Amino acid sequence: MSLALTTDQRCRAGAADHPFQPGLSAAKKALQETGKLTIVALGSSTTAGAGASQPEHSYPAVLEAELKRRLPEREIKVVNKGIGGQSAYDMLLRIDADVVAEKPNLVIWQTVVNDAIRDVGEEKLAKILKKGIRKVEAAGIDMVLMDLQWLPREDRYPKYDEYREVLAKTAQELNVSVFPRHAMMKSWAKSNKFTEEELVGMDGLHMVDASYRCLAVRIADGLVGALTGEKLDLAESPKPTN
Amino acid sequence: MSQSFPFLRYLLLGKGGGAGAAATILAPLGRDGRIDAVRGLALLIIFINHMPGNVVSGFMPHNFGFSDAADIFVLLAGISAVLAYGALIERRGLGVGAARIGARLWTLYIAHIAVFLIVCGVVARAVTGTHNPLYIEAINIQPFFNDTPAAVVDALTLTYQPYYLDILPLYIVLLGLFPVLYHLVRFSPALALLISALVWQGAVHLGLNFPNTGAAGWFFNPFAWQFLFTLGVVIGRAMLLRIEAPRSHLVDLLAAGFLVFALLVKVSSGNPFGLAILNDWIENLQIGSDKTNLAIVRVLHLGALAWLFIRFVPAGSALVSGVVGRNLAVMGRHSLEVFCAGIVLSIAGQIILAETYFALGVQLLVCLTGITMLLGLGMFLSWYQSVAQQGSVSKPSAALGASPSQS
Repeated sequence: MSLALTTDQRCRAGAADHPFQPGLSAAKKALQETGKLTIVALGSSTTAGAGASQPEHSYPAVLEAELKRRLPEREIKVVNKGIGGQSAYDMLLRIDADVVAEKPNLVIWQTVVNDAIRDVGEEKLAKILKKGIRKVEAAGIDMVLMDLQWLPREDRYPKYDEYREVLAKTAQELNVSVFPRHAMMKSWAKSNKFTEEELVGMDGLHMVDASYRCLAVRIADGLVGALTGEKLDLAESPKPTN
Repeated sequence: MSQSFPFLRYLLLGKGGGAGAAATILAPLGRDGRIDAVRGLALLIIFINHMPGNVVSGFMPHNFGFSDAADIFVLLAGISAVLAYGALIERRGLGVGAARIGARLWTLYIAHIAVFLIVCGVVARAVTGTHNPLYIEAINIQPFFNDTPAAVVDALTLTYQPYYLDILPLYIVLLGLFPVLYHLVRFSPALALLISALVWQGAVHLGLNFPNTGAAGWFFNPFAWQFLFTLGVVIGRAMLLRIEAPRSHLVDLLAAGFLVFALLVKVSSGNPFGLAILNDWIENLQIGSDKTNLAIVRVLHLGALAWLFIRFVPAGSALVSGVVGRNLAVMGRHSLEVFCAGIVLSIAGQIILAETYFALGVQLLVCLTGITMLLGLGMFLSWYQSVAQQGSVSKPSAALGASPSQS
């Protein structure tokens, strides 16, 4: 096992406590029938790759590489449609051009953080999310919603949890899988296997490649599991026991 | 109806009434206090709204209608451009007018670059000092930190604009277009509006916008927003020609009705009209409007506001000559400086609000302090201008009075 794969194990800290098992009927069917899988990563700066040392270290780029490695001989493409600072509404306006027009099988929608820090209104946000989800659904595309990031001193934004709740509730109502990013990042932070700079780039100048890599690895775990039915060994130190 | 004839004649042919038109246009138009007061108000609203999540912003106009302060600002820019540069072109010709516009464009550009640099510095300092990466997200400034050399070049060519630093670039483009637009409006306001509307809607359908690093395009798409500027030029030119808006109770009612409709839509949580067929449309209006491409409802809303304002708030109205109006006008007269200061203050304010956990007292204090500082800046600049003008007036006389031996 290469060094990179060994360090990837730390990404799975606490994975059993917050599983990610998305339902991917459209993507699974497409992969079986055509051997192709196209994913659009729609989002704000996390998706765009803010803080990554190079574009290839953004989470969509790492996800593409991971999926290609784990699903060899399949044609896999992850399109990055992240624009820093955008609210859910800004993204709703570009779903037609940036998502539907790309004809993907799956969309990973990372949003709500800018709505939370701008306090756009919870009721309004729920309406926006529903519209976005229905639009994607109507196009026959699978969707995964990404929970907000974990932050040190989150209470700077007093309604942060309320906005996370809007995302969770809307997803549940419309039966959309949620990628539990917040809980994961919290586990990473608790695991002592990362420095805080690695996770959130707290001084804004350090890179957060490790955090993006783990994000991509964990999304890949969930997607590959759902697409192939394989169960990943979530043991934190995968030592062969022969 | 006697009044609508000159108005229609103006709209189609761009002409004022009778043979005295040329003289009318050359006679200086007194400064209209309404423009300064409304612009001052728009500047304050922009300042408050640039600190999203604060309680005061919940009372700002965008909660009660489709248009907001930015729309007003651009419309006024068109009107003011005519009163300043249109009048100059009439008196001194296109060459002098264009030179003055060029000088103004340079000032705007330098101001934009300076504000850009200051904001990047404030955010960089805040992020390192507070360990909150979301300050970078809040104004989409990460391209600057990710790839500074490229971002600097793009900032200089206006192809990289963090949030809140997008309205001056729009104004630079619009003012640069002014000589052409003005001549078109001079020829025929109706034709100018038609062409402008076609460019706007054509760009929306084709997805045309100016490029912006790390985003889909300019936040204020110039192809779309030029429409409001053109509308402003048409209104400004009418003011220059002393054309009065026709009195029409029908239009008054339609405008008022539209404002009430917008208010009902924005403050209701569901569909206030009960007609199920409208549900989807109402919900689309409630969740937002496309600001980048200037959603049509924004223009209708602004048009209704402007119509009623022109009809019912005369130039000498107590609304603008009262204490509030006069103080707003003090800021409106120095809009570039107050706008730039407002941007920096609002971004500093965003950081202060988050660092104090959005405590209510601090929110109110930050808003009040900011408004006081912007008003203070306006007052200072007015005072400074009057001192400088006294100086320049007394200079020639001093020079005349000076004895040759002094030279």
